[in-house]
Amino acid sequence: MSYYGQGYPGPGGNTPQQHPSPGASYGGGSVRGPYGGPAPPGGTPYGGAPPGGQYTRGPAPGAPYGGYGPPGSSGQYGSGGGGAPGAPYGVGQAPGAPYGGYRQPYGGQYGQHAQGSNIPPGVNPEAYQWFQSVDTDHSGYINLKELKQALVNSNNSTFNDETCLMMINMFDKSKTGRIDIFGFSALWTFLQQWQGLFHQFDRDRSGSINSNEMHQAFSQMGYNLSPQFTQNLVGQYCARGMGNALQLDRFIQVCTQLQSMTQAFREKDTAMTGNIRMSYEDFLSSAITRLM
Amino acid sequence: MAYHSQYRPPHYNSAPPDQGFLWNIFQRVDKDRSGAISDTELQQALSNGTWTPFNPVTVRSIISMFDRDNKGGVNFNEFAGVWKYITDWQSIFRTYDRDNSGFIDKNELKQALTGFGYRLSDQFYNTLIEKFDRQRKGQVAFDDFIQCCIVLQRLTDVFRRYDTDQDGWIQVSYEQYLSMVFNIV
Repeated sequence: MSYYGQGYPGPGGNTPQQHPSPGASYGGGSVRGPYGGPAPPGGTPYGGAPPGGQYTRGPAPGAPYGGYGPPGSSGQYGSGGGGAPGAPYGVGQAPGAPYGGYRQPYGGQYGQHAQGSNIPPGVNPEAYQWFQSVDTDHSGYINLKELKQALVNSNNSTFNDETCLMMINMFDKSKTGRIDIFGFSALWTFLQQWQGLFHQFDRDRSGSINSNEMHQAFSQMGYNLSPQFTQNLVGQYCARGMGNALQLDRFIQVCTQLQSMTQAFREKDTAMTGNIRMSYEDFLSSAITRLM
Repeated sequence: MAYHSQYRPPHYNSAPPDQGFLWNIFQRVDKDRSGAISDTELQQALSNGTWTPFNPVTVRSIISMFDRDNKGGVNFNEFAGVWKYITDWQSIFRTYDRDNSGFIDKNELKQALTGFGYRLSDQFYNTLIEKFDRQRKGQVAFDDFIQCCIVLQRLTDVFRRYDTDQDGWIQVSYEQYLSMVFNIV
C-alpha cells in the first residue's frame, strides 16, 4: 500500500546526484554516538541552530528577520572552541577584500551628504549608503538582478542565484521578490556576520573554505557532522572548477540551510536519540514549511 | 544539481512545436544575443497571468532542470524542453483554473494534486497554500503552482528512496535527514 501518489512514476533509478545513497556515505568512523562524534560543548547532540522559536512553523507574515543569522549572533556558542564567534567581526569591519562581499564601496564617493536626516529609523547608515548604490534603477527596492550585481566572491565571481534568492526571501517581508531599505539593512548585518565567520574559518587564507575548514567550522558552530558528510556537502555545493571548496556565497547558503534543517530535525527528535521516525506527510511538512 | 527532464508535468504529452516558431521565440527572449537564455531573460518573458513578476525561484528551478552543463542558462536545444515544460503546465493549470482568474484555490489545488496521485490531508493543503501563496490571496498563481509541484515531487522521490518497505514511514538519522532535504529546501 502506498501512502503517496502514484502519479509521478519517474525513472526509478534516476536519482539526483546530490543525495548520497543511504548508508554508503556517512557513518565511517562514527562509533561514538549517534552523530558520529562526541557531543559538542553546547550539550545537544546536533547543534548549531539558534535556540528554538526562530524558525517556527509557518512564520507569520511579517515576522521579524532577526531570526536568521549566523550562529555567532545568538551568543550561545561562545564555548565552542576557538574564538567566540560574534565578537571579532562587526559593523566596523573593512568591507570586501580579500574575502569578497560588496562590490561597490559604500562611503567614498557618496561622501557626507548622504548622511542626511532621511535615513529611516532603525536602518544602519552604512547599509543606507550601500542601498543607494545597489538600487541602480532607483525603485526603492533591491531585486535579484541588483543584488547579484552588488555581491561578489573573493575570486571575483558573482554570487550564485540560489543564495541571492534565499537571502531575498529571508529579508523580503512583502513577498514580492525584492527588498526594501529595512530588509536591506538587516541583510547587510547578516552578510557582515557571515563574512566575518568566513574569514575566521578560512584558516589558510585561500579565500575559500575547503572540506577540512568546513568540518572545523561546523564543529565550532556546534554541529556534529562526520568528515564524510561534510566532504560530500562541500562537493555538492562547490562551484565548477572550484576544487572542492566553497566561496562566500555557497558558504552562506550551506550554513543557513543547515541551520534551518537542523531545527526541523530537532523538533521531531524529541527523545534526542539522533534518529527520527516520520510519516510521508510529516516529512513533507517539515521540509516545506522551511522552504527558503 | 540539474534535475533534467524527469520532472515533467504528469499525464501530459503535447506535440513538440515547430522549430522555426521556437527559434523566433528564443531570439526574442535571448535579449543580449548570448545564445543562452538566463534566469532574468526567462523571467521577463514569462507571465503568471497576473500583473506580478514570475516567481524567480520557479524560473531557477526550471532553468536548472534543463541546463545540462550548469552554465547558468539554456541554449536553443534546451529551450525547446523549457517551452514544452511550461506550456504543459499551463494546460494543466488552465483545466483547474476554471474562471481564468490566474489563481487556483485550495479545492482546485487538491483536485489537481489528487489527479497526479497524491493523497494528502486537508490540513496539509493549508500548509501548501500558506507556503506557495506568494501574493497572499489564499490562492496559488501559475508560477507558484509549478514550484509547489516541483518541490512536492522532489520530496516524494527522496522519501520513496528511504521508504524501502513502502509503508509510508521512514526512520532516518540526523545526517540522513539532512542529505534528504539539502538542496530541496
